Amino acid sequence: MEVMEGVPPVINLTEVARTEKEEFEKKVSELIIEFGAENLLACMQCGACASICPLARVGFEWYNKKLIKAILIGMKEELLDDSTPWACVACNRCTEICPRQVSPFEVMFAMRRLMVEELAISTLAIEGDRSLYEHGHAVYMTGREARKKVGLPEKPPTTDSDEKALQELRTILKNTKLAELGLIPME
Amino acid sequence: MISETVSETLKEKLKFGLFLGCNIPFNRPDVEQAMRKIFPALNVEIDDLVGQSCCPSWGTMPSVDVVGWCAVAARNLCLGEEKGIDLMAACNSCYGSLNEARHKMLNNPEIMNKVNEILAKIGKKYEGKAKCRHVAWVLYRDVGLEKIKESIKYSLDGLTIAVQPGCHFLWPSEVYPDKEEDPFNPKVLRELCKALGADAPYYTKLIDCCGMGALRSTNPEKSFTLVKEKLECIKEEIDADLIVTTCSSCLIQLDDAQERLRKEGKISFSIPVLHYVQLLALCMGFDPQQVAGICVTPRDEIIKRILESGKR
Amino acid sequence: MSDKDIRIGVYICHCGENIAGAVNINEVAEFAKNLPDVAVVRDYLFMCSDPGQEIIKEDIRKGLVNRVVVAACTPRTHEPIFRRACEDAGLNKYYFEMANIRDQCSWAHWHEKEKATEKAKQLIAAAVAKARLLEPLEDRYVELNKNVMVVGGGIAGIFAALDLANAGFKVYMVEKNPSIGGNMAKLDKTFPTNDCSACILTPLMVEVANHPNVELITYAEVESVDGSVGNFKVKVRKKQTYVDWEKCTGCGACINACPPKARVPDEFNEGLSLRGAIYIQFPQAVPKKAVIDPDACIRCSGRWFGEEPRRTKDGKPILAPCEKACPTGACSRDEPRDPNGELIELNVGSIIVATGYKVMDKKQFKEFSDSPNVITALQMERLITATGPTEGKLIVPSDIPKYLEWKKKVEKGKEAELEARKPKVITFVSCVGSRDNRYHTYCSRVCCMYMLKQAMLLKEKYPELDIYMFFIDVRTPGKDFDEYYMRCRNLGIKIFKGKVGGVQKLPDERLLVKGYDADLGKPVELISDIVVLATAIEPNTDLKDLARKLGINVGAEGFLRERHTKLYPVDTMTEGIFIAGCAQGPKDIPDSVAQAKAAASSAASLLAPGKMKVEPLISEVNPEKCTGCGICVELCPYGAIEMVEYNGKRKSKINETLCKGCGVCAAACPSKAITLHGFTYEQVVAQIRTIAKKGVIEEV
Repeated sequence: MEVMEGVPPVINLTEVARTEKEEFEKKVSELIIEFGAENLLACMQCGACASICPLARVGFEWYNKKLIKAILIGMKEELLDDSTPWACVACNRCTEICPRQVSPFEVMFAMRRLMVEELAISTLAIEGDRSLYEHGHAVYMTGREARKKVGLPEKPPTTDSDEKALQELRTILKNTKLAELGLIPME
Repeated sequence: MISETVSETLKEKLKFGLFLGCNIPFNRPDVEQAMRKIFPALNVEIDDLVGQSCCPSWGTMPSVDVVGWCAVAARNLCLGEEKGIDLMAACNSCYGSLNEARHKMLNNPEIMNKVNEILAKIGKKYEGKAKCRHVAWVLYRDVGLEKIKESIKYSLDGLTIAVQPGCHFLWPSEVYPDKEEDPFNPKVLRELCKALGADAPYYTKLIDCCGMGALRSTNPEKSFTLVKEKLECIKEEIDADLIVTTCSSCLIQLDDAQERLRKEGKISFSIPVLHYVQLLALCMGFDPQQVAGICVTPRDEIIKRILESGKR
Repeated sequence: MSDKDIRIGVYICHCGENIAGAVNINEVAEFAKNLPDVAVVRDYLFMCSDPGQEIIKEDIRKGLVNRVVVAACTPRTHEPIFRRACEDAGLNKYYFEMANIRDQCSWAHWHEKEKATEKAKQLIAAAVAKARLLEPLEDRYVELNKNVMVVGGGIAGIFAALDLANAGFKVYMVEKNPSIGGNMAKLDKTFPTNDCSACILTPLMVEVANHPNVELITYAEVESVDGSVGNFKVKVRKKQTYVDWEKCTGCGACINACPPKARVPDEFNEGLSLRGAIYIQFPQAVPKKAVIDPDACIRCSGRWFGEEPRRTKDGKPILAPCEKACPTGACSRDEPRDPNGELIELNVGSIIVATGYKVMDKKQFKEFSDSPNVITALQMERLITATGPTEGKLIVPSDIPKYLEWKKKVEKGKEAELEARKPKVITFVSCVGSRDNRYHTYCSRVCCMYMLKQAMLLKEKYPELDIYMFFIDVRTPGKDFDEYYMRCRNLGIKIFKGKVGGVQKLPDERLLVKGYDADLGKPVELISDIVVLATAIEPNTDLKDLARKLGINVGAEGFLRERHTKLYPVDTMTEGIFIAGCAQGPKDIPDSVAQAKAAASSAASLLAPGKMKVEPLISEVNPEKCTGCGICVELCPYGAIEMVEYNGKRKSKINETLCKGCGVCAAACPSKAITLHGFTYEQVVAQIRTIAKKGVIEEV
């Protein structure tokens, strides 16, 4: 996914508000709160989170502070088009220091969840889910030379070697939003 | 056993469920092997938690749905809870994901109820008792530095180590079972390294993110600028002989990205990287091929140095 | 102790680093030791501290010194402290002299340490030269008048008056408007608790008006002030009301009768509606009395007060509509009325000035367009309050005339549909005229909070409203204030750090607002129905004039200046005159009330003893030398000098009670017949000569 560098040069608040009211069923801020960022409204835009955010440091457009502000004023389309939240390393240093207990990390991830809900995601974003469903591991490798080399059995004692456990996990996943949204094929 | 407090764990023989995650068993099985060697030798019993899965990692269920995230995590935690033991992870992401999920479930009955509704379909129930401990904390608090010192055959006298505790070892401190006294000036990994005889000084970017994970898969270039800053700081400030981490993701990033930066001519030095359990396994005299055999940035020299000059 | 046996102690203060950082104390001390009659030289970190004062007392008690020179800071704040120390140790306190080597030396020459040291030496030498000539003096006492005048009937004036009246002092409350209440009476609700302003203010207005110790003098202004602390003579002009207040019951019949042609913008509604030429300031006015605005009155009946009425063919007098409507005859034009009103005289011991503020008009801010839908925040208060022009119904201001038309029809029993537009979007702009070098450099202090308050009230009442607020930054330093701010954020009010630089009218009376969002680092724009400007709080237009009459100072920004920002915040440089509320500077209601109570307590503690110790630093005429020329009589700013018979000749005589010791007479007297005690001719000349000789004291 390409990072969108371009935000409209001027933000038209009237248009943002109109779109929010007429085209969205729910305000983007309400959705973000619903998707886990319960303290969103406590943000006062102090910028502490941005000061230590790895994404802000390396030049992403919508790092934590700006993402929160854009959500608070009701921007959505621009955010759905942008991949910044998917670059968040979830380091949670922002959560540790936020003076308002907003947990900017949670906002980033709620944004991911919103993008998933709106299917505004690339295939790369759901690759891990597909692998999780198929193998029980987000990172999975078929080659087992490394394990053999260090003297371990080819299969670790995980879902990889336990069909019943893998079926359990799949049952769980089938009862989550992953299945509800039909994001990945589930037999 | 599941410990309410750490001191309680000392009453009986220590036993933990070895939670592997994904990167360790598939990418860095030498870390897995190191744990399988060191813990029995330190009189810590490990259970395989057969049937465990991905924690789930940040890019999967946590990015889709909070309840789904918690449900997958709860299933893994149940595997320990059913046996009356805590989990133990050597991957910060697993440590973070499992404990954040647990924290959400414990603090939000609605999430907990929904999770248990799902778990009921596979005949499980999560009570919130079992948690995930970090191998570094188990070694530091449960095993103890003295026992570690007694157990080693090779000592690291004269070596300078740059420690990389990793973000999810520290933050958000609220959700973790063990907490650094000052998460912005973490001591545990430094103390663990010192117990092996090495020097583990502070350096400016000690707590900074290595740039691994989603950042690396989304934009490798930007990810490498972060790891480069960190590596340069380590080189310039303390000229470390070795980088030691307690996170499998940091391990991969610092080891692998370092090689790439060298190939692109962006850095000219080479500092071997080890997970702490690997370093301990080496010091305890286990076969280097088995406990530290997989890397991109060469380790041969540092291992040789440890084995030749460090014999006690 | 004979005058010839002079033993001077010189005490040099380091004032922490304040003096010692620029002045070489050791060098100065060595220098002082060699000055004539100096017996002791000592230095200390803080001379004014308890141990510092003890050093001086100890030397006096042991008989080592009998004159004291302290080289330290300003006598304005510290002379009384050291004088008391001398007195405590048994020395006449006028055997004390101070050299200001901080404000006038170390601070001023901080980067020229050698020169500062030289200057300190000279200042100390001059003080020693004067100390050698000091004479012992005795304090005197003046009788104090226990009445107090409070100028201004707003919330600050009301509290000051009530506290004093409750303590038993007689209070004259002078208010320029027909009613007391001030600006607070215009407010809808008040932060941070959102109490209704009228609900908390009107009972106090009634209480002060009915208090047996308070005499309300409204529709009146201070004309002149003479005298000094304890004995002020104040002339107050009661403006002509053109309505007999003895008879007026405040029924309002006259107001309805006043014809549309005589309508002018209503000050109380900040110009959002019109009032008649005869009007009652507002419905809850205290006193509730009508006045006629002679500039607005169109003289309906063709006659003015005291003129013969025109008559109908059958000889009946033609009365003006207000006159006709009045059930009590209060509006009768039969008697002539003096347009200058009436001058009354008050004798008071103390004065509290609490004349409040005004808000800037929006007219000067052309960048925000001349649209009627761009309003000041005080206009917004009127628009949302139940006593406002729309009874609190929220409509765009450009449609207020439509609303008033509709209301008139409905009142007459006609069926009518209100076509006024309701706003959907409201934008607030902070710091309009404040923190702006073109207008006022200061922060108006209350705008952030009242903007948040208005936004909160609007959003809570009309949740569908979109509210955008633009701040340079949000300032909420008060108890419960930041919590209030967060409540607004939680309501979904959109807050921007960044100022609005332009408002442009759209063809449909809506407004295009151009702002900036520092958070996103982008310009933003929106279409708004109303734009509220948080215009600056300013000093009242006539405040400077009043200050001049009272002999107190105004600062560069035009507000009354307190004696000391931290230590004497409600005192002025003129003893007996205190200040409170926004006349001193922008502040909110809690702070105004606190200041009012502080001013009341200061006035009470000054007047309660009934007499006051006065420094004997006043002038005295030597009748033997006086030639009776009378120059001094004309020059005295306090009217303290008169000509009297002395041994059959005309001589001047100074009234001790009135003399303030300014020294004008002593300086002007051609025959050097007047001595200003504490600053005698010899003493001042000795000081000047010493400095002219660069620190060498001449033997006289």
